[in-house]
Amino acid sequence: MIVFEHVAKRYAGGVQALADVNFRLEPGEMAFLTGHSGAGKSTLLRLIALLERPSRGQVLFEGRNVGRLSRRQIPMLRRRVGVIFQDHKLLTDRTVFDNVALPLHIAGLSFGEIKRRVGAALDQVGLRDKSGMPVPVLSGGEQQRVGIARAIVAKPPLLLADEPTGNLDPALSEELMRLFCTLNELGTTVLIATHDLYLVRQLGRRTLVLDHGRMVDDTVPVPPGSTGPEVLR
Amino acid sequence: MSAAKAIRAGFRGWLRRHAYSLLSSIGALVRSPVASGMTIGVLAIALSLPLGLYTALANLSAMNTDLERLESISVFLDAELDEDRARRLASSLSTSPDVLTVDPISPEAGMRELAGATGLDDLELGEVPLPWVLEVTPAREGDVGGLAGRLRALDGIDQVIVDLGWLRRLEALLGVFARLVELVAVLFGLAVLFVIANTIRAEIQSRHEEIEVMALVGATPAWIRRPFLYAGFWLGLFGGLGAWLLVRLGLWLLAGPVRDLGASYGTPASLQAPPAELIAALIIGSGLLGIAGAAVAVSRQLHRINP
Repeated sequence: MIVFEHVAKRYAGGVQALADVNFRLEPGEMAFLTGHSGAGKSTLLRLIALLERPSRGQVLFEGRNVGRLSRRQIPMLRRRVGVIFQDHKLLTDRTVFDNVALPLHIAGLSFGEIKRRVGAALDQVGLRDKSGMPVPVLSGGEQQRVGIARAIVAKPPLLLADEPTGNLDPALSEELMRLFCTLNELGTTVLIATHDLYLVRQLGRRTLVLDHGRMVDDTVPVPPGSTGPEVLR
Repeated sequence: MSAAKAIRAGFRGWLRRHAYSLLSSIGALVRSPVASGMTIGVLAIALSLPLGLYTALANLSAMNTDLERLESISVFLDAELDEDRARRLASSLSTSPDVLTVDPISPEAGMRELAGATGLDDLELGEVPLPWVLEVTPAREGDVGGLAGRLRALDGIDQVIVDLGWLRRLEALLGVFARLVELVAVLFGLAVLFVIANTIRAEIQSRHEEIEVMALVGATPAWIRRPFLYAGFWLGLFGGLGAWLLVRLGLWLLAGPVRDLGASYGTPASLQAPPAELIAALIIGSGLLGIAGAAVAVSRQLHRINP
């Protein structure tokens, strides 16, 4: 699904965000991306959704070199990648329904179809009864779930989440993670950037660790109760 | 799915996307009624100036044509010509196609007019011999200068007096005025373009987060651009409509004074509204100007979102 080959990203001004990053994520896989703040987690996600282009190396998504896509091809790529942002990136002057419906309006679906699919997505995140509400009256956790509903409503094969539990209390965080696991079980490939190591350890999924722009670890932590980590590479 | 079916489905999707942009652009205008209202007001005033000037020019030209019709040629006959010959000449002239009417004025009538105009009585004027005079009114679209020349060449005619000078000056003045209207129309058309481009630019800046979100969930540049183009179209369209209403209001306010002015000259006078085609062209044209202004503003901003 995703292949990084010797990927480096250097921003204007000389900040080296990523250096020689290599990894593969197979279709149907779910993985966490961890590391200290500023380690390059967000940059790595932004390279996949083509919010940035790599300075060196190549990023492959579904076998295609993302960095080589022309401007005209960017929207089609982004429709196949659902992205959940830490700051939600919702339209605050619209209702929950309108926010979630946006990707479907862009795809030009009929209103009946949009209504059905938005309803289903809101069901999945447990917000069906908030459909007609304006976004600002929702709590932080609810807004994050609206963002998730928007990311999954068009059923993209890949879901990227950047610190989805950033500002949430532990109970809500766990609930969100369980939602991601469910989506993954339904066939979506999921990559989550987080620094919530406790939750990562709990779930026992593959974990990629970034440190100063370098991939320093690729492990599957053993959930509490088992013994010793298993190294994949 | 067959090819025809796919095309139909694609067309339906295209229609839906346009309907969505159309409605969301109106929604954006309605959500900020004060700002939209002020912009539309500025556009309406800017557009009402050329339209108002044009209306004034059209009315003055119409009045000028009326004046031309009232213009007459004074034909002074030789003093020895008697009434009989004068009347025969008059009737033969009136059959000419470029002559509308011929009005013979006898020496006595001429004397009375002269006495009335100068305040002198018959005695003082004494035995000044006045000739018969034919007041010739040219046909509406005739060549007055040519007609006067031909009259001069006729037998028994002493003098032909045509005072076209002031009419020519008026015509020249109207020509200057017409060019002025064109200039003002071009200038204010540009003003409309800039006002709309700037309004849309401000709108884009205040909505840059929304634009970013749309780009992030896979909107094409065309999709992002469309509501702004529609917004520009609406601004231009409503501005044009407003200009028309302003001109109508102006005509209504002027109708009374103009009627009084006409009454003082003894002719019914009224102002003509601009023709419907011009109004339609103005409204649609300003809508198109709106699209052009918005397109300028949007394309500058879109380049920054997609790397």
